Amino acid sequence: MKKLALAVSLALAAGVAQAQTIKIAGFGAKSGVVRSFGINSEAAMLAAADQINKAGGVKLADGSKAKIEVEFLDDRCDAAEGISVIRRIAGTNAVVAVGPTCSNVAEPLFGILQKKVGDAGDSGLQMPVFTDVAIKVGLAKISEWAFRNVPNEMTMYNSLFYWLHTQHPQLKTVYGGVEEDFAHSRATWYIVMKPRAEASGFSVVGNTKWLLADTNFATQVREMKKANADIVAISAHPFSTCGVLKEMQRQGVKPKLLVGLTSSSSLETLQGCAKQAEGIIIPTSFAPINKDAVAAAKTTAKFKGAADLHSMAAWENMFILKNVMEAEGISGKPGDVQSDRRKIRDGLAKLKTTNGLIGVTKRDAEGEADKPYVFVHAKKGEWKVLYNPL
Amino acid sequence: MLDFFQTLSDGVLFGATYALIGIGFTLVFGVMHKINMAYAAASVGGAYAGLLVLKVMATAPPALVFFCAFVAGGLLGWMVYVACFHFIPLSSPLATLMSTVGMMLLIDEVIVHVTDGMPQGYPAMFDDVMLRAGEFSMRGDLLLVFGVAVLAMIGLLLLLYRTRLGLATRAVSQQPVAAQLCGIRLVRVNALTFIVTGLLGGLAGALIGASVGTLSPLLTVPLTVKGLIVTVIGGLGSVPGAIVAGLLVGGFENVLQLYRGVTERDLYVMLLLFVFLVFRPGGIFAAKGGRD
Repeated sequence: MKKLALAVSLALAAGVAQAQTIKIAGFGAKSGVVRSFGINSEAAMLAAADQINKAGGVKLADGSKAKIEVEFLDDRCDAAEGISVIRRIAGTNAVVAVGPTCSNVAEPLFGILQKKVGDAGDSGLQMPVFTDVAIKVGLAKISEWAFRNVPNEMTMYNSLFYWLHTQHPQLKTVYGGVEEDFAHSRATWYIVMKPRAEASGFSVVGNTKWLLADTNFATQVREMKKANADIVAISAHPFSTCGVLKEMQRQGVKPKLLVGLTSSSSLETLQGCAKQAEGIIIPTSFAPINKDAVAAAKTTAKFKGAADLHSMAAWENMFILKNVMEAEGISGKPGDVQSDRRKIRDGLAKLKTTNGLIGVTKRDAEGEADKPYVFVHAKKGEWKVLYNPL
Repeated sequence: MLDFFQTLSDGVLFGATYALIGIGFTLVFGVMHKINMAYAAASVGGAYAGLLVLKVMATAPPALVFFCAFVAGGLLGWMVYVACFHFIPLSSPLATLMSTVGMMLLIDEVIVHVTDGMPQGYPAMFDDVMLRAGEFSMRGDLLLVFGVAVLAMIGLLLLLYRTRLGLATRAVSQQPVAAQLCGIRLVRVNALTFIVTGLLGGLAGALIGASVGTLSPLLTVPLTVKGLIVTVIGGLGSVPGAIVAGLLVGGFENVLQLYRGVTERDLYVMLLLFVFLVFRPGGIFAAKGGRD
């Protein structure tokens, strides 16, 4: 009889514990060629959740505490898959989603969210999505349910080219290399790098194009060689960046400075072509420059993830969401999932600033973030901070 | 004009990588009249396996990495045969086609999961050699790929026309039932064909990795598409055809890229394929008569 009573009380306790869980869904690429992004984001989310839970969890509206549970789903960096994943998440008790990895997923995915909050005529999904990785500029305005904690490339490259101009006044010309078939890299060259370089007084003498999966860069590098620019700015992801850098080495193209795409300030570039990437300068919103950043990187490593500007944004998102959930007083009850989602959305919309790992992030009315950043350069197979404008 | 010839030369030399992949496609088709869609993926897989040598011995010479890729390619070729052809009824063309598509995706995903999709630097041979004549230059490592493609062609032709295995292979290719009645073991010949093409694929994957300088799962799909185009343009089942078509496609796409840009390049390659399919469906080296 005693055993039965014990079993019943344990079951009841388990039931209570179950109710005291807040589910946050992560999603991103965990398969395909950008799998490392998803792996790192998941590790960072799990690490942050672990830290929050160890400190007691999230305080709910009734004063009780709930643990955070993270479930991470794979969207394969595919738009259709991403939309299917967010619909699946919306059908669960997850109160908020963190993701996706790729801009080509984020853009259509934001499109299926309700555009204006409270618009009864809009049957779009009412699910707050807090992006950690997909970086293409200007996507948050697509829906009032979409929020972003990604670096503002406009600010970063503006600052970088200005700094380069002041540090190296003898350098006059810039030549671009663009991965033409990838939403982020394409947008970054045409909308960000090129105009920002010109605004800082550089003369952009041309650009050459290639595709993400290209293997032969001889013609493009020959064009680059002819341009003989002081600075070569490569707006491409690690695989093709490495291909181009190796071809530049073969053809003896040695610009005075190399500038890279934000997303290439990762382990992938160093793994693919550390020698050829030596010296490349990239602005990034994460570097282990203080105690918190170092600790976050170490904790994420315990969950088998690498700390970079993307995964550490996922880490930050978890703490921002904890604060929002507590400030807005979510109930955490299964029947209140939709109202909790709305509260989280409203809480995120109210934020003007948030605390990040390397400083304070500002937010504009559209939900876009303006994160603090540093300039790093590849040195002897590692990313080292070159300049900290903070 | 120099630009044109330089671009053409770069493209033709790089086309040797397409030729190597095309040879594998065409050989399997020539013997079994089946398309092995997993061939390029297995070749890239073999090249990745070659990198294991560097895990054991960081200072291993590139030739050892290539040899390991060569052996791993053969093993993968045999595995593809067992998984996609041995137990599947060959009378159904769709069954083997779909099983090899599945195998392509599987190999690709295994690579992605093992490496987290991260590009891996690949050791190269003669990558610092650049033959120059004034402004004109040719890459040493691509000349190596070109040389290997030609040697592979000669080797395969010798194998097909000067050995008992080659005789058996041709017999199976032309009249499988009669070949069996003559005592030729069909399964053994088919398996050996996959091993031989696999060995070549592993080497091709390593040479491609070396010529790009980096290996990535991103290579699989473009190489599969280019390999198939080369096989069709060269003439299904023709080894010399695969080489000529590989060089032709490489040169053609590079010249078109120079004049029309990278975004239009592949359109013209597809147009070239279309032209061949309409006006010369048997490819450059179309057989004079039909198969018996």
